[in-house]
Amino acid sequence: MTPAEIPLKAPSAAPVATSATEVTRSDVEQVERALIDASTRVPVLMFYTSAVAWLVIGTILAAYTSFKMHMPDLFGDVAFLTWGRVRPAHMNSMIYGWASMAGIGTAIWLMARLCRTTLRRPLLLVAGAAFWNVGVLVGLGGILAGHSTGHQWLEFPPYAAIILFVAYTLVVSWAVLMFQHRREGHIYITQWYLIGAFLWFPWLYGAAQIMMWVTPLQGVMQAAMAWWYANNIMFLWLGSIALGTAYYMIPKVIGRPVYSYHLAAIGFWTYALFSSWTGMQRLVDGPFPAWMVTASIAASILTIIPVATVGLNHHMTMRGNFGLMRYSPTLRFTIFGAIAYTVFSALGILLSLRSVASYTQFTQASVAYTHLGTYAFFTMTMFGAMYYIVPRLVGREWRNAGLIKLHFWSSAYGVGLMVLMLFVGGVMQGQDLNNTALPFTESTQTILAYLRGRSLSGMLLMIAHLIFAFHFGMMLFGLGRTATVPTFLNPQQDEAAQKSL
Amino acid sequence: MDYGETEDVQQVHAAIQREKTEPRVGLEPLSIWLIGIYGLAIFFGGAYLGRFSGSFQADGLDPQADMAAAVKGAGAGGPTVVAELGPVERGKKVYSANCATCHQANGEGVAGQYPPLAQSEWVLGSTKRLGMILLKGAEGPMTVKGAQYGSAVMQPWEKTLNDQKIADVLTYIRQEWGNKAGSVAPEGIAALRKEIAGRTASYREPDLKAVPDDAGLPGDNQPPAAAGGAPPPAAAP
Repeated sequence: MTPAEIPLKAPSAAPVATSATEVTRSDVEQVERALIDASTRVPVLMFYTSAVAWLVIGTILAAYTSFKMHMPDLFGDVAFLTWGRVRPAHMNSMIYGWASMAGIGTAIWLMARLCRTTLRRPLLLVAGAAFWNVGVLVGLGGILAGHSTGHQWLEFPPYAAIILFVAYTLVVSWAVLMFQHRREGHIYITQWYLIGAFLWFPWLYGAAQIMMWVTPLQGVMQAAMAWWYANNIMFLWLGSIALGTAYYMIPKVIGRPVYSYHLAAIGFWTYALFSSWTGMQRLVDGPFPAWMVTASIAASILTIIPVATVGLNHHMTMRGNFGLMRYSPTLRFTIFGAIAYTVFSALGILLSLRSVASYTQFTQASVAYTHLGTYAFFTMTMFGAMYYIVPRLVGREWRNAGLIKLHFWSSAYGVGLMVLMLFVGGVMQGQDLNNTALPFTESTQTILAYLRGRSLSGMLLMIAHLIFAFHFGMMLFGLGRTATVPTFLNPQQDEAAQKSL
Repeated sequence: MDYGETEDVQQVHAAIQREKTEPRVGLEPLSIWLIGIYGLAIFFGGAYLGRFSGSFQADGLDPQADMAAAVKGAGAGGPTVVAELGPVERGKKVYSANCATCHQANGEGVAGQYPPLAQSEWVLGSTKRLGMILLKGAEGPMTVKGAQYGSAVMQPWEKTLNDQKIADVLTYIRQEWGNKAGSVAPEGIAALRKEIAGRTASYREPDLKAVPDDAGLPGDNQPPAAAGGAPPPAAAP
């Protein structure tokens, strides 16, 4: 579409008051938003800053892990730099450090805006953020020192988990407090997802911790528990936050209502219902009653319903406005995330089927699937939200459109290449592993080229994250632009289109 | 840190002024195509669950286990997963673990050291005598199948093997390698164990010869072949 075809919308805000006595409703709303943003500034920026720091640390650990896959002798005799310790350190710093903290930060701001209430007791949240950081730090230290528990995404030793739980209690008590004092009667879709996420996380984390360490499950049921947790921390915790964020950002940026309430409601409830049944499909042909695994696969198949519904809702909301992705960084990242959600879920259904799992189980393909969810879907959506929220908190615009573009393309190509390499490599690996005539050592030769490709894609992601961290740091230290127009990605192209943003 | 509080108010709040109102929700109806997709997903998911549920058995690892076959199997012989071993099979395990070192797997023993069991008159004769040897052990010299054995000592097994195992292994050696003699019951061994409990030393040949050839144990069972009157060939020399 040419820029001329982009529909222009009437400015949403009425003209600024012309006299001291003439105060419009829109003026009141603007003052209210300014107050809300100011009240959320310190805690949200604290969560964001910590998140970006963990992102950089996690990326470095990830790069090292990736290189270890094809250079196994690298620092081979340093105990805390062995693959078995660095890999869980990478995953946990990303899940609990980056993803959870970015998600909580975004959720705070969205909730304050949507409840139309200033943030009460910001110190509660600052303490929560501090505790959370300590928890992640202690947990990572524990993993590197060799105290890992060995269950995926639950590697933090129990003493770190307790600190995280205290931190979380502070955060969730704030969320309840804020929802209690909401001044907006209407509860928007985003709030459903956020309240859901805030209630589901303690359920998941508490159940997992209790059933693992307090009254431990016996034998193979531990594996069932661990996979249920790992899968649902992705869906119900991170996924809910990302979907809620997308439901806010897309209509907000393009200034159009969400297509359909009915679709949103169906999408939300089926998501909650079916996602919580998944997880066991990762244990196909394990020593479990067949129906347990099959029930999870059937639930995975049923997740077509929320995926199709939410996807259609976003698509119809965006229809006719896709051209705006040329200009708005927020929209570009968020739409990328929304599309990745569909791809992620479709691949999840495919990989869960028994016939496909016989090729892909225990291969790099499941790593591809995880990155599709945690990075392409969740992380990209969070980047979009941060590009929207941070300027409102620091009162400056992003410094340089070029840096944002570089960030987007490095991230997009990086994660695209990574998923492609790991998925194709994983299928080849699975074929080799199934071939009984082939010695095992030869199957490791096949995957080697793909692992090198993955390291390359990891370098792209590292570039993206360093650029973003640098840009974010400039904003934090007041080095952003002072301007009345936002930082568009292609400012020279069409001013008329930009006005509609 | 200065977040721009001192800037011109208009400029600082530019983002807020230009931003759109908070998102609202439209009320477009559900598309018929979407309902079709829901139906397909539910149908396919349900079919998958039915196909690979393994009949919802708590201990079924096979996703395609047939419900009808499972019910039939349970009706015929109960949920016996492993077939029960007979006394001869159990005795073979005991023999391999404890006896085969000396008497050899083929029951021929080692000439001059360990007497044979195959066609041995000691094995095919009185079960009471055989039980006594096993419980308390035996010391040479002894004559088996006309040959002299003297150097080796057989250890007592009363502390190592229980009644069931002794009965099983005796049944085994009496029915293997062409031997055709009756089986021994654990009750018989238990009775014998009580009867000779006072003895501490191993038996010698004269003690054993004192036991009559037809002295049996309670619960002994004569096989059809033995009942037919065929004398043990080993007794001939």
